[in-house]
Amino acid sequence: MAEIDFERRLERLFGGTPDLPDAQAFADRIERRLNRGWTARRWLIGAAGLAGGVIGASQLVVSNLGQRVADAEQSARTLGQGLARVTPSSDVLSVLSGGYGLWVAVGLAVLLMGFAVARVIEEL
Amino acid sequence: MSGVNQASLASYHDVELAAFAAAGERRAFGELVRRHGSAVRHLLRRMGAQAAEADDVAQDAFLAAFERITEFRGEGAFAGWVKKIAARQYLRRLQREKRLSAYAEAEGQIQDEGEAGIVAPEGRIDLDEGLKALSAAERMCVSMCYGAGLSHGEAAEALRLPLGTVKSHVKRGLEKLRTRLAPGEGARGDARRGNG
Repeated sequence: MAEIDFERRLERLFGGTPDLPDAQAFADRIERRLNRGWTARRWLIGAAGLAGGVIGASQLVVSNLGQRVADAEQSARTLGQGLARVTPSSDVLSVLSGGYGLWVAVGLAVLLMGFAVARVIEEL
Repeated sequence: MSGVNQASLASYHDVELAAFAAAGERRAFGELVRRHGSAVRHLLRRMGAQAAEADDVAQDAFLAAFERITEFRGEGAFAGWVKKIAARQYLRRLQREKRLSAYAEAEGQIQDEGEAGIVAPEGRIDLDEGLKALSAAERMCVSMCYGAGLSHGEAAEALRLPLGTVKSHVKRGLEKLRTRLAPGEGARGDARRGNG
């Protein structure tokens, strides 16, 4: 029993340590390092995003996107005219089926991508 | 958590601060370091690290703890959890610098055999003075088991020593400490940590 008491006393002695004089400075140093790491991580994510954007944009240019969009617009317009015969008085449908519809869809996709990227960064 | 200032952080429990830190709140983790930094640094010094080295290891241990903060679920004390990380990091450093093997051969090498200064002037028993009477290996094993809360088995694994050797170091260390911390009580009795 005395042995166990002594072991407990020893654990208490190990646990009961006074604060060192530079305890605050030590904590500040670690907090600074954590903040520095976080800043570096954000820069890294930003740089990766920028690089990805540049690569993506260059791929779009290379793949002759403008021509494809024009073709898609033409197809959409044809489809819209067809739909207009079936449902003659729908403004929203006519806007979406025209050239604007495609750009609205692109805008929504960009927004969705933005939300996704923000969520990923938050998780990191 | 945004809008919580440093003063109000002091009112939170360790587990709450750890949860804030897990959500990326670095100031909450800073408060945990403020509370337990000294205890971790003391432990490393008692394990045999010089002050500067102890601070380096403690710093690395806290940074590692922040990275792994989601592993801390509040089942034990936060201080105990970080102390284990710090003790293992210190041993890894000794291993890396090929200093760990010295503990296997450190039988009977006592740093300071002095009897004076065991009881501090204000009457507080000075553990640090008592530890000086132990060999490096005994001090290391006792500090790991009673300071960092490792079992004999965990200490043996971390130190890469046979379990029996660690138990012997702990037993001899306890006998010496008992003699010095409570001279009237005598040095009899077996060390029974019972967790190895």
